[in-house]
Formats: sequence, structure tokens, C-alpha cells
Amino acid sequence: MAAQVTKEGITLKGSAEIVSEFFYFGINSILYQRGIYPAETFTRAQKYGLTLLVSTDPDLKNYLNTVVEQLKDWLYKCQVQKLVVVITSIDNNEILERWQFDIECDKSVKDDSIVREKSPKVIQEEIRSVIRQITATVTFLPLLETACAFDLLIYTDKDSEVPEKWEESGPQFVSNSEEVRLRFFTTTIHKVNSMVAYKKIDC
Amino acid sequence: MDEMEDNTTVLSTLRSFNKFLSQPFDGTPPSANTSNTSGASLQMQFQQRFLLEDQAAQIRSKSHLIQVEREKIQMDLSHKRARIELEKEASANAMNYEREADKNQELLTRIKVLEEKEAESQSKLQEQSEMNKSYKKTIESQSKKLLEREDKLSEANEAISVLKGKVSELQLKIMNLEMQLKTQDTEKQELNEQLEIQRKKLQDGSQTAQVLQELQALNADYELKLKTLEQKLSTQEQDATIVKNMKSDLEKLPKIERELQQLREENSFLREMRENNALLKEEVESLRRASERYDRMKEELVTLELDKEKILKKLKCWENLEQTTGLSIKTPDDLSRQILAIQQREIKLKEENLSVINSARMLESARQNLQSELLKTQNNHLEEKKKREQHDALVRRLQKRVLLLSKERDGMRAILDSYDSELTPSEHTPQLSRRLREAEENLQRVHTHNAEMEVQLSQALEETGLQKQRAELLTAELSLLKSQMGTTEQSTSITSEAVNSMRLKIEELEAERGRLEEENKILEMRLERLSLQGSYDPSKVKVIHFSMNPASRAQQQRKEEVQNLQEECNKLRELVRILEGGTPVPDKLEAAGSIQTPIQEVTELKKQVESAELKNQRLREVFQTKIHEFRTVCYMLTGYRIDITTENQYRLTSMYAEHKDDNLLFKSTSPSGVKLQLLETSFSRTLKDFIDLHLHHQNSIPAFLSAVTLDLFSRQTFT
Repeated sequence: MAAQVTKEGITLKGSAEIVSEFFYFGINSILYQRGIYPAETFTRAQKYGLTLLVSTDPDLKNYLNTVVEQLKDWLYKCQVQKLVVVITSIDNNEILERWQFDIECDKSVKDDSIVREKSPKVIQEEIRSVIRQITATVTFLPLLETACAFDLLIYTDKDSEVPEKWEESGPQFVSNSEEVRLRFFTTTIHKVNSMVAYKKIDC
Repeated sequence: MDEMEDNTTVLSTLRSFNKFLSQPFDGTPPSANTSNTSGASLQMQFQQRFLLEDQAAQIRSKSHLIQVEREKIQMDLSHKRARIELEKEASANAMNYEREADKNQELLTRIKVLEEKEAESQSKLQEQSEMNKSYKKTIESQSKKLLEREDKLSEANEAISVLKGKVSELQLKIMNLEMQLKTQDTEKQELNEQLEIQRKKLQDGSQTAQVLQELQALNADYELKLKTLEQKLSTQEQDATIVKNMKSDLEKLPKIERELQQLREENSFLREMRENNALLKEEVESLRRASERYDRMKEELVTLELDKEKILKKLKCWENLEQTTGLSIKTPDDLSRQILAIQQREIKLKEENLSVINSARMLESARQNLQSELLKTQNNHLEEKKKREQHDALVRRLQKRVLLLSKERDGMRAILDSYDSELTPSEHTPQLSRRLREAEENLQRVHTHNAEMEVQLSQALEETGLQKQRAELLTAELSLLKSQMGTTEQSTSITSEAVNSMRLKIEELEAERGRLEEENKILEMRLERLSLQGSYDPSKVKVIHFSMNPASRAQQQRKEEVQNLQEECNKLRELVRILEGGTPVPDKLEAAGSIQTPIQEVTELKKQVESAELKNQRLREVFQTKIHEFRTVCYMLTGYRIDITTENQYRLTSMYAEHKDDNLLFKSTSPSGVKLQLLETSFSRTLKDFIDLHLHHQNSIPAFLSAVTLDLFSRQTFT
């Protein structure tokens, strides 16, 4: 019975795990699809029933792992509202794209004792569709012509403390932007809405 | 010449020295014997030796010095050459350096172009990779098909091997048949032999010729039959082979049928594929439609955005209005609160309105009651008036009757008086008394009637007074009511005005509410859009990021790069400036680059070149003086001045020439100057004899020349 419960139910910890894992693969997908890092530094990995590309760059991996680990902690505490992947041009520091993931936390769930019933298969299906959509956005997003770098912004509660090596930042808006809302997925404890804002092309 | 002299002196000193050395062997025994006698001479000898030795040493040192000088000259020459070479190398290096710089620029531009191309190619690569994926899938399917086909091929190969076995069998059969044919041929030969024997027999049996002829005919028939039979046999054999082939074909048939089945399956599979293809095409079409719809949506979006901008402008106007009106609405919550307050106020006003309306209705009903009362009282009043008039008329009638009655009474009294006066006798007293009584009774009746009438009149008067009072009261009441009416009318008008104003206010508020709702919606839309763009409430949320994120790192790297490049650029600029100025490079900039050393080398080489040029000039000067000396000496010794007019042509002018223009021209035919030819000049024409003798005959130019000099000299001395 216990095994069944752990299989079928979703706890806060499990939800944080799922969402942070999604961010790890999602960010990797964005970096690959948008060509922020050279394609040869990526390797294939099977996840959510898809073949995803994951970076092998040691610096990038280290950075993503630290951020995702911290994010997991915040997700567990329900202190995070948004995660934003900002893509900036290295040449003139202009912000070109902004991938925003709004996280809605069910704050009524305080610990792991509460178990929500949602099949992991269904969640995986939802995540798969989100990642597919991220991959599909390449068709309409403008081509990044200059060398670009990325940054991860996390919107947290005002009263939550800033950990070491982290610092406050601006929201880094895209000036003259166009927004596209993408799909969402929910673990019933965390709901992740995704959208992308990109610089409008002057015709 | 000095060298030569020096050498000769060396030789001479050597000789004297040798002599001196040889002397002691000769001179020592006598000197030993006669030491006292030859002391002075010995001293002299010693002095001479010393002198000689000194001279020798001087000469040696001189020669040594000269050798050293030569070596020095050679060294200088080699040095010069080396320097010139170095200069050339330096210039070549500079050229190379320039070329390299040009190349570098070109390469930089190429790199940029290539980078752009790289970006393009990356995007292409992505597309290609996607294409590749699809291709891979197709390749997989193709490989599956290929495998199937390979299986079929192996099956076919097996069939081929089986067929080969059959072919070999058939070949064997053919061999057998051939063998049979051969045996039949042999049989045929045998039969022929028999036939011949029979013919012989026939020839032999000429006696039975007729019978034999018949037999022969029969035989011929038989032969014919045999031939036909043989033909039949051969045809049968052919048929047999055909049948065998047919059999093998028939054996092949089931396989072919299997293949056919496979092909049919393939066909069906392909049909399915085609159907799938059609489905996919339909899907593509639907997707195209979707994309078209999407485009339309985009257009609509653009128009919507335009509308939105207009609305935003309106909103701004509204906000300005808000500011001007002084309402502090900044957030939708405030707005909703205000709306709520306004709604509450509205409700209150409605309630007030209702109460006012109710009061107005009450007042109206009261007024109606009062009006009805008024009507009643008026009616009463009218009735009273009528009554009073009636009463007045009655009173008048009564007064008239009273007057009539009093006149009648007066008349009656007068009549009575007259009667009294006339009928004082009591003739008629009874009658009169009766009449009087009657009259008195009448009078009394009239009086009573009068009194009644007066009472009635007084009553009527009283009544009229009462009525008047009532009328007055009623009029007072009426006036009161009228005044009341006026007040009520005023109040109703006031209330209606209030109601109207309230209604207007309500309408205004409703309109405002609608507007506010719209604005609220717009603000909500804006809020959503802003949240889409990533804005946040800074009072509740803060944005943090990892300090060592890739973007900041890349920026830092870029900054450092730029700084380095700027530093390098500055250094190089400084260097260029210095180099353009031509001043020596200061120590500070020695570390600026590897260009430094060649520049130093160049300056050094320049210096070397300058010194070398100086030396060259000096050498030229020396050479000129020497050449001049050599020429004069040659002139003095040979008697001919030799000039080089053009290449390989030498002009000889004799010392004893009669004219200045008298000269001989020689031309060297071979480059080394071994062969010389005399060219014709005006002077040479006069020397035909000498030419014939010395050049043609003796073939000696010096002899010819000396003959010419002798001739000229003799002419001069002769003259």
C-alpha cells in the first residue's frame, strides 16, 4: 500500500524535485535551441520519453547544478514566484530574449505529509508538451545574430534571505518586446506557466 | 711599389743577416786569437749587428703592419658586404612585415566573414540536423526494406543454385541423348550396310530382278518411312526437351506465385503508404490553414495592439482626468473600492429617493383628501349661500309682506277710524264689534305672525351669521389649505427636482461605473501583460541571480579583452609615433613587441651602411689616385695612352703623335681580352706597311706598336 501511495501520489518534496529537474532540462534545451553554446558541446540524453540535449561544458554544468539545487530548496519552501532565463547580447549588453516560468505554489501544502493524487505519467506528458513547445518556438523567434550569454533570474519572496554568492538584480526587461504564452504543467502543488518575450523585429 | 721595396729590403737584410751569421764562423778563430787587436773592429761589428737587427725588426714590424692593414681592409670589405646584405635583409623583412600586416587585416576581415558564415551555418546545421533526424528515420525504414530485399535475394540465389543443378541434370540428359543419337547413327550405318548388302544381293539376284525391283520399291518406301520415322524421332526428342523445359518452368511456377504474393503484399503496403501520404498531405494542408489562421491572428493582434495603444492613450487621458479631479485612484483596488463606495452612496440615495417619493405620495394623498374636503366645504358654502339668499329673499318678501300688512293695518285702522267716526252710533255696533274683534283677532294674528316672522328672521339672520362665520372659517381653512397646497407643491417640486438630480447623478454614476469597469479590465490586461513582460511588485518580491552567472562572466571576459586590446593598441600607436619620428625607441617601450629588435637592427644597419659608404668613397678616392698614377706610369713606360671609348674598344694615342687625333683603335673580340683586332682609323690608314709587316706577317701587336713609336719618335727627332 505504501509503495502504491509513493507511486501514485505527489508530495511537496517530490514536486520540488520534478519541477527543478524540468528546469534543468528546459534550460539546457533553450541553450541548445537558441545556440547560446556551440552545439558540439551538447550530448544526447533520454528524458520524458524525448531525446534531449544536455551540455557537457563543465563550467555551465556546475553553474546549472548549483542554481537548480538552490531552486529546489526554494521550491520546497514555496518561496519562488518566477524563474527567468535572460538572453543578452555580449557585444552591447542588450537583452534579446526572456524565457519566463511563473511558478504558482500551493502554500497550503507545508510538509510531505500531504499527498496529492496525480499520476507521474500525466505530469511527464505535460512537461513533454512544454519542452516540445520550447523546441518549436525556434521557428518563430528571431535569429540571434550576435554572440549571446544567458543569465538566470529568480523571483523570490522579499523576506527570504539571499544565499551566499547570490545577489539582487533588476528584472531585465526586453525593450520593445513581443510575448508568447506557452503551455503549462502542474504537479498540483507547483504550477509552472511558461512564456517567452522577445525583441520585436523592426520591419 | 713600396711593398716591393719593402720586400726587397727584407730580402737584402736577410742576406746581410745570413752573411753576418756566416761571418763569426770565419771570423771567430782570428778574433779569438787576435782579441786585443780586433777589439775595436768587433765593437764596430756589434754596433753594425745591432743596427742591422734594429733595422730588421723595424722592417718586420712594418711588413707585419702592412699585412695587418690588408687584413683590416679585407675585413672591412667583408663587413661592408655583410652590412649591405643585412640591409637588404632588413628591407626585405620590413616588406615582409608590411605584407604580413596586410595579410593579417585580410585574415581578420575573413575571420569576421567566416564568423558570420559560421552563425548562418550553425542555423543551417540545426535545420540540417533536424532534416538528418528525419532522414535517419527514413534510412532505418529503408534499411529494413533492404534487409527484406536481401532475404529475397538470398532466396533467389538458392533458387538459382537449384536451377543450376537442374541445368547440369539437363546437360547430362542431353549427353545421354547425344549418346543415343550416336548409337542410332551407328544403327543407321549398319542398316545402310545391310542395304548395300541387299543391293549387292539385288545385283546378284538379277534373276529375281523384277521381284527385287518390287522389293526395291518397297524398300525405298520403307526407307522413306524410315526417314519419316527418324524425323518423327527427332521431333519427339525435341518435344521431350521442350516438355522437360516446360516441366522445369512448371516447377518454377509456385516460387513465382510466392514472389507474386510478396509483391502483392508490397503493393498493398505501398498503397497504405500512399494513403498515409495522402493523410499527411491533408495534415499539411490543415497545418497550412492553421498557419494562415495564425497569420490572420497576428494581423488581428497588430490591430488589437493599435487599439490597445489608443486605449492606453485614453487611459492616460483618464488618468490625467483623475489627477485633475483630485481622486487618488492609482490601482484597480482603489478604483473598485471607490466604485463600491459610489454604489453604496447610490443605494443610500435610492433609499432616500424612495422615502422622498413615499412622502410625496403621502402628501399628494393628503392633498387630494384636502381637495375633496375643500370641494365639500365649497359645496356646503354654496348651499349655505343659496340658503342665505333664499333666506334673504324670504326676509325681503316678509319685510314686503310686513310693509303690506302694516299698510293694510294702517288702511284698516283708517277704515276703522272712519267707521268709528261715521258710525259712532251703535247701529252697527254688534257688527262693528264683531268686525273689530275680527280685525283685532286679525291684527293679533298678524302680530303673532309678524312676531313669528321676526323670530324667523332673527333666526335666519342668526343662521346667516353662523353661515358667514362658517364660510369665513371655511375660507380661512381654504386659504390655509391653499397655502398648504403651495407649500406642498413647492415641496413636491423640490422633491421632484431632487429626484431628477438624483437620477442624473445615478446615471452619471452608472456611466462612471461602466467606465471604471472598462478601465479595470484594461488595467487587468495591462497587469497581465506586465506580468508577461516580467514585472513584479517590488514590495513583495525581489529578483536575485547567481553572481557568477555566464552572462556577467562573458561580459567580464569581454571587458578584459577590450582592455588588453586597447593597451596593446596604445602601445603600438606609441611605437608607430616613435618610428615615424625616427627617434630611438625608449627603454619603456622595449617590451612593447617583437618589432623592437628589427627596428634596432635597422638603425644599426643604417649606421653600418653609412660608415660603409664613407669607406667606399674613401676607397674610390684612393683607387682613382692609384689608377691615375698607374695610367701615367703606363704612358711613360710604353709611350701610349690607353683609353676605353666604348665596351671592348681601346684607343691608343702615342706620346709622339703628330696630331692629337692620330690614334689607333683596338677591339677585343673575346671577353677575356685575349684576341685584339685593329680597327681602321685615319691614322691607321697611313701605317699600311707596319700593319702588313707586324700584324699580318709577324702577328705581334707590341712589335707593331713599338715600330709605330719608333717611327713617330724618329720623325719628331728628325724634325
